[in-house]
Parts: sequence; structure tokens; C-alpha cells
Amino acid sequence: MAMHPRKDWYELTRSTNWTPSYVTEEQLFPEQMSGHMGITLDKWESYDEPYKTSYPEYVSIQREKDAGAYSVKAALERAQIYENADPGWISTLKAHYGAIAVGEYAAVTGEGRMARFSKAPGNRNMAAFGMMDELRHGQIQLFFPHEYCKKDRQFDWAWRAYQSNEWAAIAAKHFFDDIITGRDAISVAIMLTFSFETGFTNMQFLGLAADAADAGDYTFSSLISSIQTDESRHAQQGGPALQVLIANGKKEEAQKKVDIAIWRAWRLFAVLTGPTMDYYTPLEHRQQSFKEFMYEWIIGQFERALIDLGLDKPWYWDLFLKDIDELHHSYHMGVWYWRTTAWWNPAAGVTPEERDWLEEKYPGWNKRWGRCWDVITENVIEGRMELVSPETLPTICNMSQIPLVGIPGDDWEVKVFSLEHNGRLYHFGSEVDRWIFQQDPVQYQNHLNVVDRFLAGQIQPMTLEGALQYMGFQCVEEMGKDAHDFAWAEKCKPEMKKSA
Amino acid sequence: MSFESKKPLRTWSHLAEMRKKPSEYDIVSRKLHYSTNNPDAPWELSPDSPMNLWYKQYRNASPLKHDNWDAFTDPDQLVYRTYNMMQDGQESYVQGLFDQFNEREHDQMIRDGWQQTLARCYAPLRYLFHCLQMSSAYVQQMAPASTISNCCILQTADSLRWLTHTAYRTHELSLTYGDVGLGQQERALWENEPGWQGLRELMEKQLTAFDWGEAFVSLNLVIKPMIIEGVLKPLQQKAWENNDTLLPLLIDSQLKDAERHNRWAKALVKQALENPDNEAVIKGWIEKWQPLADKAAAAYVTMLSDELNCGLYVERSASLRASMLTV
Repeated sequence: MAMHPRKDWYELTRSTNWTPSYVTEEQLFPEQMSGHMGITLDKWESYDEPYKTSYPEYVSIQREKDAGAYSVKAALERAQIYENADPGWISTLKAHYGAIAVGEYAAVTGEGRMARFSKAPGNRNMAAFGMMDELRHGQIQLFFPHEYCKKDRQFDWAWRAYQSNEWAAIAAKHFFDDIITGRDAISVAIMLTFSFETGFTNMQFLGLAADAADAGDYTFSSLISSIQTDESRHAQQGGPALQVLIANGKKEEAQKKVDIAIWRAWRLFAVLTGPTMDYYTPLEHRQQSFKEFMYEWIIGQFERALIDLGLDKPWYWDLFLKDIDELHHSYHMGVWYWRTTAWWNPAAGVTPEERDWLEEKYPGWNKRWGRCWDVITENVIEGRMELVSPETLPTICNMSQIPLVGIPGDDWEVKVFSLEHNGRLYHFGSEVDRWIFQQDPVQYQNHLNVVDRFLAGQIQPMTLEGALQYMGFQCVEEMGKDAHDFAWAEKCKPEMKKSA
Repeated sequence: MSFESKKPLRTWSHLAEMRKKPSEYDIVSRKLHYSTNNPDAPWELSPDSPMNLWYKQYRNASPLKHDNWDAFTDPDQLVYRTYNMMQDGQESYVQGLFDQFNEREHDQMIRDGWQQTLARCYAPLRYLFHCLQMSSAYVQQMAPASTISNCCILQTADSLRWLTHTAYRTHELSLTYGDVGLGQQERALWENEPGWQGLRELMEKQLTAFDWGEAFVSLNLVIKPMIIEGVLKPLQQKAWENNDTLLPLLIDSQLKDAERHNRWAKALVKQALENPDNEAVIKGWIEKWQPLADKAAAAYVTMLSDELNCGLYVERSASLRASMLTV
């Protein structure tokens, strides 16, 4: 045999821990950056990454993957997705690229944190590949939407969203900075790779890929399923880190990090992915409802993974299950209503057929959100357009950075969870958001949400226009409008007459 | 509302003013660090959160200053896609070497005694390469422009590449020479063998230099030139003398990466020197780190062979470093 298989020499590639003596172990791996919780270097050497690869395999496989994704793009350039797809699908693309591309690039820094500061040598090597993966995901998800810049100003936000103070961009940054760039190495392993990438990216990249293929957007479908193959490798860095923590008596601390990350990921997904799956994607192209995807990729996934590791379901699991039925419908209505402040065009998604689908997937939808949409629809039909745009500011959660919502209609339920801390009054959208703040106030306490900034006079002039400028909008074409220019309301006319 | 109506742009708004048509490199590499926008809170968290304080101290307050780090351009303009194509080619070449030299029983033909030198002076290199990997990952996460960070991502991966070569060869050599400690004694040598202690001291201290500018200067302008001239080249020289024709070819392939690292480091120095204050800053850091690096190279070369002229290799690494500082 002329070449030796990886298993024969892999161990040597990760036998790289040593005992420092010119500096202390704590200087080399400061707790603030490492997050080792006082567990010594030797104990971290038991870390065993389940998905192993090596440098020559990596560059070869990744080269092939890129060749695949880029050639699909080239081959389908003439398919004219932008011209032919439903505007709701285009909105999905805009929301996805803006919220994801530069966020993935920022994840290079989280992987870099592990590559430098993790005490586990296997983690440091896998994170070096993780840095490369996230570079790929940032770059490829900038390259693909770039061609649309010349057609539509909103596509500039694929690059610009993270540079801006737009509310959804702030929500995305506050979340990703809390689980990735603003955390130590071991927290990144748990909060980014285990809690976020094992479940939520599956849903975004495989769930949305299924919808994309159905909608005929094979370029996007092949792109994001290719990305997911990297995610499923580097997502496996968190599990063995959790095992080391649990074996060394740190289960409670580990559990808390998992609980925080899952909840925060959920809230962001509910405002970005929920509406795209259940309202923007054309009805005939919806593979499953957002709730069904959540049950398949998140609920089932985490119940298994947590128990396998010896962790518990988060304490808020019942609240979480209730939220999955409700939250994104309220978020969607809010995003649609405040659509001027989005870099995409929200599709209302409430024609009679779509409402039937929503009622089937979410029994009781009509007597809750349907009630509000009845009023909105009537206003649109009657031409009272001043009533279907906002004149006031919402109250924004000091954790999720997303407006507070409740249940409208027959089951009316709106509640704010407040907290006074060091003389400042904070408002949260849920008990769990408030609990997260209380676990680590120093991480969050002097951050101002967009409305706090407005009230503090940081946004001038103190008008909607001033706010839009502050958020980074440069022209009317960038501001969100109804994706179908209210054509859906026409379809509702017969139903409205009937009920009248 | 008084917002104007505007036509779509042909590219990202931040590239629209460029005189040339943006390249793939421009589109996917430039201005991706949003953490440089708000000096009070690099990350969208409390301005006094621990990580914001770290970035404000070690990046924003670095004495190495420039008004527009985002103007930095990698002279090789590599993107992820092209890097993999290039390195897959390099790895095919290296694997071809491994394969063919194994077929021809290369390891049985090296000069007797060289296997001990390889065990003592070559196999522990994986620790040194791993330190370069860790250090590059640090500069990546702290650099003030995405175009700089990207060079560091690839440099991290290249360091893992070198580490992987070393692990592979350590294993392979141990199959022919099972009694010289290959694959077993590297950690002890790295921790105790006098010839390695200069390098270990240098790397441990460098890994705790948290100011991003100092981390970059010490790593790319002091340590890496020293490793090229004071470790890899003398090792290559001795390998030739001992009928080990594989190692010099392997090192040549690694040196291609190292030359690329030198190119981007030189380009970054050139940009940094647009601010005249930076000259003294860079010089100060070089003066701080150079003695440790020289000491490390001398100890390594002495361990490798008492026939080699340490002064010569130290001189060569100084001249390589000087060439990178020439604008």
C-alpha cells in the first residue's frame, strides 16, 4: 500500500495540546475567550469530533461542491427566475440573503474563536475547517444574489443589511453576536454549532431548498442544500464539548447556554423564516407548513439530541410548543403592517385559498389573525389605504429586538414582561426573553433597541422619515411594499360580500 | 415623504463608485466586517459587554492605525473557490509524492542516523505549525477589514495543511523506524528538548500578544520569516545531505504557501505605512520580538546540526523580514 488511510495518522493531527511554561495555561487560554470553566487542558483532550476530515479531503470535496453549485447557477442563468417567479418568492430570496449572507461571514469569527481558544485540539482543527466553510457561505451567498442588483435595489441589502440599523438587521446581529462573535470558544461550540446549526439551519437550508425546488428556483435550491452539507459537518463540534462539560460537573452551565441559544434562535426564525414559509412562498409551492418543519427539524431533533447527551429539555418547552402555533402569525402581520421598514416586500398571503390552508394547518387561525386581516382586507378594498400603514412605533423587546406581539381576535392575549435593572425599565416579549437577560445582564444592559434610540433622541428628525434614514434606506425603491400590490384583496372581494 | 427615487445599481452600493468593473474578489470579499461601524459597540450587545471591551481594547485602540483598512487588497485576490482549486492541485501533487516515494521505498534509503534527526527535529514541527494555525485564527478574528481577515483564514488553513503533512510523514516514518520515538515523543521534545524551547517560548508569548497589530507584526513579519529561513530551509538542506529527497520537495510545496503569506503581509505593511506614525509602531514591535525569534532559530539550527552556521540563517531571516518592510 502506497498511501496510508486517514485513520492511521488522524490522531497525530490532533495530538497538539502541550503544557505551557513560559506563560500560564490561563494566559494562553483566558477564560473570557476560551470558556473552559476551569476544566484543565488534559481533560479537554477527551474531546472527540464525530465527523472527521483532513485537509486534502477537505479541499478536494469542497472544490467539487463549489463546481456543482456554480455550474447550476451558470446553466440556469437564462431561466430568468427574477422575471418569472412569484413576487412572494422573490421576497423570500431577499429576506434570506440579507439576513443570512453576511451573518454567515461573521460566523468565521466564531469558528476562529474556537480555532484559537478552545482547549480541545480536535475542536481547534475542526474549527479551522469551520472558518473555511463560513467563508464559503458568506462569499457564495453574496455572489449569487449580486446578479440581481441591476434589476432591483432591494438586492443591495444582501450585502448592506448587516451594515445598517434596520430593525430586522439589528435583531439578527443582536442574536448572532450573542451566540457567535460575542462569546467565548466553548459557548460558540454549544450555542452556535449545537443549538443553532444542528436544527435551525437544517430548517432554513433544507426546508427552504424544498420550497425552492418546487418553485422552480433550482439555483437557490442547489446552493442552499450544498451549504447544508457543510453545516452538518461543522455543527458536530458542539456535542463533544457538551460531553466534556457534563463529565466535569458543568451540566447546569451547559444546559443554560443551550436553553438561551434555542430560544433566541426560535424568536429570530419566527420573524424571518415563519412568514417566508407560510405567507410569502406561493401556496402551490409550500412543501410543509413552518410548524411542520419546526416539528420535524427542531422539536424531534432536539428532543433526541438533548436526551442522548444527558441534557434536559429546556424549562420553557411548553411555552415553546405554544409559541410554534402562534408567534409567527403575529410577527407576520406586524412585518406586513410596518413593511416600509423592511428591505423586502412582504406578501400578505391571505387570499381565501391561503386562509383555508392556514386554518387547516393552524386550527383557529381565522378567529384569531383572520379577524385582523378581515379589517385590513376591507380597508384595502374600500381604498382606505391610510389605515393599512402604521403611524405609531411598536414596543420592541429588549432581548429579541423584535416588536412585542400577542394573540388578536377571540383569544385576545397581549402581555409585556418588564424588568427594572439598575434604574432602567426593560420590556420583553416573553418570560423567556426576560429570563435570558437576567442570566447575564452585563452582556445586554446598556444596549438600546431601535425605539429606545428614537426616544433617546438619537434618531433625527423624530419622524418616520428620520427613522427610515437611520435604518439605512436610500430611496423609495428599497422600502418594502405589498409584494403583490394588493392584488390579493381583489380575490377576497366575493368572500367579503358573502360575509356582509 | 422626501425620499428620492433611484435606479438599481450594477453592483453593491459600496462598490458603485469604483472606476473598474468589480471583480468576483471585490464582490465577495470587501467590507464585510460590520463590527467596525460603531466604535462604541463593535458587536450589537451592551457596549460594556466583555467581548465589546476586548475588541475596543485590542483592535480599536491598537497603536497601528489607518483611516481605511477596508482598502486593503490581497495581492493574490484569492476567494474561497479559487483557494480550494489551487490547494487541491497542490495536495494532489503532494499525495503523488507520498505515493511514489513510498512505492520506491524512499524511507528505507535515507542515510542511517537521519531517522533520529527526523524524530527529534522534524516530527515535533506539528506543534509549531499548530501554533501558527492558532495565531492566524486570532489575527483573523481581530483584523479590522474583511480583506485582511480573509488572508488569515487561508493562512490558518495552510498551517493545518503543514501540520497534516507532518502528522502523515511522522506516521509513515514510524512504520520503517519504530524505535526512535516517532509519533510518541513529540510532545516531550516540544516541552523539554533545548532545541525546541526557543520556538515554544516564542509561540507561547506570541499567542498572548492580543493587540491585533502586534499579533500581525510578530506573526507575519517576525516569526514566519524566521520559520522559513531558520527552520524549514536548514531542514531542507540537511535532508538533501542525508538522501532524504522527499522532505525538500514537501517543504517546497509548503514554501509556496509561505511566499503567498509574505506577499499579503508585505502589502499590508505598505498600506499601514501610508500613515507615517505606523513606522515607529511596527519597528517597536519588531525590536521586541526579533531577539526571541533569533534565539529560537539559533537553538533550532544548533539542534539540527552543529555543522550549520546559525548566524547565516539568522541573517537570512533578517533580510527576508527587511524585504517585507520595503515599500
